[in-house]
Amino acid sequence: MRFLFAFIFFFFSFLFVHAQQTTSISGYVKDALTGELLIGASVEVVDSPIKSSSNSYGYFVLDVPSMGGTLRVSYVGYQELIITLDSVAKGTRLQIELTPLGKMLDEVVVSGKKENKNVSSPQMGALNFSMEEVKNIPVVFGEKDIMKTIQLLPGIGKGGEGSSSFYVRGGGGDQNLILLDEATVYNASHLMGFFSTFNSDAIKDMELFKGGIPAQYGGRISSVVDIHMIDGNNKRFAAEGGLGLIASRLKLEAPIVKDKSSFMISGRRTYADLFLKLSNDETVNQSKLYFYDLNTKVNYRINDKNTIYLSGYFGKDDLGYGKLFSFDWGNATATARWNHVFNDKLFSNTSLIYSDFTYHVDVSTDESTFQIASKVENFNFKEDLTYYAHNNSTFRFGLNVLRQRISPASLQAQGNSAVNSIDMETRQGIESAIYGSHEWKPTGWLSMIYGLRVTDFMVTGPGTFYTFDREGDPIDEKYYGSGVIKHHLDVEPRLSLSALLDTRQSIKASYNRIVQNLHQLTNTTSSLPTDQYVLSSINIKPQYADQVAIGYFRNFDNNTYETSVETFYKYMGNQIDFRNGADLQANRYLEGDLLFGQGRAYGMELFLRKVKGRFNGWISYTLAKSERQFEQINDGVWFNARQDRTHDISVVGLYELSKKWSLGATFVYYTGNAITFPSGKYQVDGKTLFYYTERNGYRMPDYHRLDLSLTYEPRREDKRWHSSWSFGLYNAYNRKNAYIIDFRENENNPNITEAYKVALFGIIPSVTWNFKF
Amino acid sequence: MRILVYLLSVFLVCMSSCEELIHVDLNTGDPRYVIEADLDNISSTQTIRVSQTVAFNADKASEPIDDAQVEVKSSGGQRYVFYPMGDGYYQNANFTPKPNSTYYLSVKIDDEVFTATEVMQPFINVDSIGSLEETIFNETNYSVLVKFSDPLGQADYYKYLVSINQQPFRFFQAYSDKYNDGLYVTHQLTDFTKPFALGDSILVRRQIITKPVFDYWNQIQMLNPGSAAPANPKSNISNGAFGYFSVSNSKDYGITIRSYDQLKLRE
Repeated sequence: MRFLFAFIFFFFSFLFVHAQQTTSISGYVKDALTGELLIGASVEVVDSPIKSSSNSYGYFVLDVPSMGGTLRVSYVGYQELIITLDSVAKGTRLQIELTPLGKMLDEVVVSGKKENKNVSSPQMGALNFSMEEVKNIPVVFGEKDIMKTIQLLPGIGKGGEGSSSFYVRGGGGDQNLILLDEATVYNASHLMGFFSTFNSDAIKDMELFKGGIPAQYGGRISSVVDIHMIDGNNKRFAAEGGLGLIASRLKLEAPIVKDKSSFMISGRRTYADLFLKLSNDETVNQSKLYFYDLNTKVNYRINDKNTIYLSGYFGKDDLGYGKLFSFDWGNATATARWNHVFNDKLFSNTSLIYSDFTYHVDVSTDESTFQIASKVENFNFKEDLTYYAHNNSTFRFGLNVLRQRISPASLQAQGNSAVNSIDMETRQGIESAIYGSHEWKPTGWLSMIYGLRVTDFMVTGPGTFYTFDREGDPIDEKYYGSGVIKHHLDVEPRLSLSALLDTRQSIKASYNRIVQNLHQLTNTTSSLPTDQYVLSSINIKPQYADQVAIGYFRNFDNNTYETSVETFYKYMGNQIDFRNGADLQANRYLEGDLLFGQGRAYGMELFLRKVKGRFNGWISYTLAKSERQFEQINDGVWFNARQDRTHDISVVGLYELSKKWSLGATFVYYTGNAITFPSGKYQVDGKTLFYYTERNGYRMPDYHRLDLSLTYEPRREDKRWHSSWSFGLYNAYNRKNAYIIDFRENENNPNITEAYKVALFGIIPSVTWNFKF
Repeated sequence: MRILVYLLSVFLVCMSSCEELIHVDLNTGDPRYVIEADLDNISSTQTIRVSQTVAFNADKASEPIDDAQVEVKSSGGQRYVFYPMGDGYYQNANFTPKPNSTYYLSVKIDDEVFTATEVMQPFINVDSIGSLEETIFNETNYSVLVKFSDPLGQADYYKYLVSINQQPFRFFQAYSDKYNDGLYVTHQLTDFTKPFALGDSILVRRQIITKPVFDYWNQIQMLNPGSAAPANPKSNISNGAFGYFSVSNSKDYGITIRSYDQLKLRE
């Protein structure tokens, strides 16, 4: 605790240090054609070290010399803007509009919101992409998908064939905090993981943190993926859409009050199921197999100081077999935000957020009619304040109250069903957190972000809680009424610092501790919508991770090439696995079936990216190890995590053949997952069973694949109407990567046992037609 | 939940078109003893098999152990010695277990002793039994239905072995009454890998078993290629032996697979 007070004192002492002969100006940076706010645009005083960049709401503050100067505002893909300030009055607020370059120029710059940002920013382990940068990267079925793009980055483990799930620096699939306009998205995938829930049309940009995670984020120990939806065009009506093999999309946006208020609505639906309707079989043509997404956002700029945003997402997967069976699941999120500028230096964002994930199963047979329903939800209040003390010093602080509720799958039987209704108790908890962080540049070469987050997770009633013996059998139960049953208090220090060696190279280091109080229980190789969630409780302690990382960043050839080497070590405490034969469904004593252990992961990541020119792209390579240890598993010996991959390589190349044609290619290669295979066999009741000796002691075969894309975009500069064709080839050389390897008795001779593999996707062509006006 | 498993298996079957036999280099673990002791009251002859695990690519299913000392004692003080019959089988021809009695298994191999305890459960009568024809995704499947009233307020566990056309009995399904305690229940018996054919003569052996035996078989039937970490099913026998000890209350039921129209079970 003394450490905590020392920190708070240190932190606040900075707030009152004041700057010298300067006047602060502030404002917003926007796209001149759409009014869309630009995140991370660079604002600097020419011929001086004074610079700043716009925040997630396009807002910036800059202390400029009182006698004036020349401002340069730049953003990738936009025409640079020079503004001359003769004299600066206090409280000057600028509305800066940048004009997109289009493809008129030969020079194509694809990345780095701010040139050299990768080297100069103190933030480590962060990557960000706008949707524009990823649109030509080939993907399965031609559905561009930001979640698949991030899997091509160093340190991000791919979820497997076609999957949109991912593993960051050896962490688990449920340890990534995925935010859509600040709302937690519980299940970020459709159709068992082949598509992500993020419709590319509705997404403005994405920021990913895999280390040195800033103090304003908490709740998942491995990474943060912060996704922003576009705000909506406030200059004119615009539409965009596409027809693909799997899905169609349409987006509409328009001003409500020009320059002040606009809306965006974007939808996507798959239509594979429409073919089922053609069947003569009544059961088949009444079957369902589709998903859809709906994103919507409205914003209203009341005045220079106040802006309100409302955004929402709703998505659903629906599977059904005739009238016998139906299964649907989906996420819903709603965010209301209020941006308020107290004075030039103090920016505030207040958010009220709701999100949930539900699934329903309906079964209706002659025997039984019943429904299974489950829901995870949260209500979240956030207050984030940014204080721009001066150009070299920015403070962020705030608080967060998150109320989480889990209604585990319960079964509702109808009439004379051959099953009983089962009600499972709802579980709830309140996670409150305060944080403070300081981005500080004490000298020209040194910069840092240090911060602290304090989280109190309160396990609350009402509910019956059990205690268990070492074997996991219940020994005691106690009913608690409403109120706090237990506090889990955690202090999470965060640090990221950068030492600039010269303008082109830097060394960065980071440390973070993060805790996680929501745990997803997955005992299959892919996460399913029916996976159970649990909160920290009297038996389950918060998971936590301590991570240190150090890296060297260097740019070459006038920032044409960006390179980095990062190494990390991550320790993970209170990790969860299962007892042999654990029953995860409708089990009151579920917590007794859980085992608690630890994990560690370490590795090195290389990244080489070419960001300018007609040919651009990147190569990423990760060399890593990820292990777990549980007293009751594998005789207590450390074993490889399933997603432990020694080598993981991604190559992305994009080439502009001509003004109309561009080519994209990605190649991935990674060591197969660690997996448990039999080390013998035996027979019980005439059935061959397999004898397992070591957890994850074997490897799946290495995975590799090449994808290609070709985009044709006829140009008619004078017309508003644009259309383009995208052709894709997934798995171009038709590699039969093993999705599953299993073992069985030989059909003819049960004494002989054989291994077989199942490959999921061979070569898959795709074509998509996109339009925009 | 079963229906989910079923749908997933349909999904896997759909994918099996891309299936290919491969060679995998597998280690051979230290051999472990396997005890199969499935005693019941169908007859007075009880058989226990003792064997050992073998290498995955061995051209035999198991290694029989013929020099074990096998015996079962009852709570009434009776001692039943099982005599070696070859190929790992041990038999006692004058032993009919009785409901509510406790039985203690002891298997001694060299200096190692493996023990287990079981209580035989009362039988739960069947109301009716018949066959069912279903068409799923244009494929006709036959299954056997067993209907009965589950006793209310107690946990009951069931296991079914099936013999098709006088072939040896094979394990089919194990059920608990977790979702249907005290109801009129239908158990559906199917084998997705080797389906029943029209006209098959079926003998269904219904066993009322204990929780440890159910847990053992349930783990086996829930094993699927999608498991994150397949593991050896948890045995109720001590000292690290594989296999299980069950003393079940059992009955056999004969039925012929017919098409749906000819056979409605009840009105």
